[in-house]
Amino acid sequence: MMDSPDLVADIVTDVDEVFLFSPGQSLYDSFRAADERPVVVAPANDVGAESFVELPLSFRDVRDRIRFGVEGAMNAGITRTGETILAVLGVFDDGPDATVRVTVAESMQSGIYDLFVNSRAEPSVIRDVFEVSIELGQKGQKGNPVGALFVVGDAGKTMNNSRPLSYNPFEKSHVHVGDPIVDVMLKEFSRLDGAFVISDSGKIVSSYRYLEPSAEGVDIPKGLGARHMAAAAITRDTNAVAIVLSESDGLVRAFKSGELILKLDPEAY
Amino acid sequence: MSGVLATETASALATTLTPLQLDALEPLVPFVPLALFGVILLVGAAVSYALISFNRRLLERLGVPESVEGTAFERSVRRFGVSTVTILARLGGYLAFVVFVVLGLTTLGVDSVTAVWPAVAAFLPRLLVAAIVLVVGLIVGDKLGLLVDERLRGVKLPETGLVPSLVKWSTVYVAALIALAQVGVATTALVVLLAGYLASVIVLGAVAFRDLLASGSAGLYLLLTEPYAIGDRVRIGDVEGVVQEVDVFATHVESDEEVYLVPNRRALTDGVARKLD
Repeated sequence: MMDSPDLVADIVTDVDEVFLFSPGQSLYDSFRAADERPVVVAPANDVGAESFVELPLSFRDVRDRIRFGVEGAMNAGITRTGETILAVLGVFDDGPDATVRVTVAESMQSGIYDLFVNSRAEPSVIRDVFEVSIELGQKGQKGNPVGALFVVGDAGKTMNNSRPLSYNPFEKSHVHVGDPIVDVMLKEFSRLDGAFVISDSGKIVSSYRYLEPSAEGVDIPKGLGARHMAAAAITRDTNAVAIVLSESDGLVRAFKSGELILKLDPEAY
Repeated sequence: MSGVLATETASALATTLTPLQLDALEPLVPFVPLALFGVILLVGAAVSYALISFNRRLLERLGVPESVEGTAFERSVRRFGVSTVTILARLGGYLAFVVFVVLGLTTLGVDSVTAVWPAVAAFLPRLLVAAIVLVVGLIVGDKLGLLVDERLRGVKLPETGLVPSLVKWSTVYVAALIALAQVGVATTALVVLLAGYLASVIVLGAVAFRDLLASGSAGLYLLLTEPYAIGDRVRIGDVEGVVQEVDVFATHVESDEEVYLVPNRRALTDGVARKLD
């Protein structure tokens, strides 16, 4: 029992902005009733908030989630560098169970928001590809880990920077990543070597592509293999985003402009 | 008529009963038509009750309760403590009962009923059809309105709010027209109005969507045959670049500094030149 909550009160006092992550209607209403104007970060604006940042993926990593919310708010001109914000979010449960005090700094711009919102492909397409990769990472093939590489957006340029390894199974097909049939195809996906090329609107243009970017000067963390190197390099040569499922450590990584932006563990979803 | 029927019944009884029994039944003869009427009413009640419960089960099996859920018609009849299924089921049942009542009255020999009976017999089914058409029209109109409304929800344009109600009331209008024609009301003027309305919708639509329709049909051809694919270098008319996207209405062609949105009909009218690698 703690009889003097004042001892930790300085965590929640003197903040410029309150961020509610996926709040319930009653929580938001009680904030509004107290004449506060919280920023809501959620998959959909169900509570009818004025300041709202759409969360495309329920990031399990709390830091990623806060970074996304803050970046989105900075992008919309709600917060500025130097301001102090208080994030109310769920760490163990989906409901809010924690408050985190953060000072907005330039270094918080990790590019997660930018990855989703300011890429060539539509945000929903990038989200769908993430979901496909996460699912593939969870399932694997017959219990064995599998790897995959998706190049999303700027498909015309990507196709011109790559060559086919074999016949394209997606030729004259019109499958989009969000389609239910993609879930069925997941198992087949993992058997195919090479990269998947996905257009701005989410159409799976090709698989079995061998990427041929110039990898000169691409700097990715040591220990990652050829697949990640190819992914990083193609995003530098084109305006595409690359999402990679690693066969060795099972993580999903996203690259943009030749840099590693986001790392997710499929097992956490 | 009733007298004839009563005598016939009596003579029918006479052939099956012995003279002794006939004597005992003599005072009951005047009551035979009344008893007959009662039996007919009972049978009618049973038949209509069976019909109602059969209709109800049929409608429920067909999934009517789920499909009318949330429509304005269902909500307004709920306020009177009934549901769409109940109304539709009862319509047939009540009609059957009315038929039995009329039948019973003819056996009683009420002359006025006997005289109008053929007309009523011909009119009742049409009234039933009219009522069903009206109810179905109201529900379908509601449903279509909701469907269009949901489709347009993504478009954040307040003016589109007019479209769902237009769709809804057009459907109801047509249903009302059919119902009125069923019961024999003169509907010529209303039909002319409908024709004028439809003609104007078609003409306006053809004018407004001419380019979209032409591009859409060209787009279908392009998607099915895929003469050029994403990544190909093409020239359509005076536009040259790499294909980034092909959808039903347009092809996105990107050159070094610009993205062109080429309507698909241009691909057919101007032709496409694909650069060889």
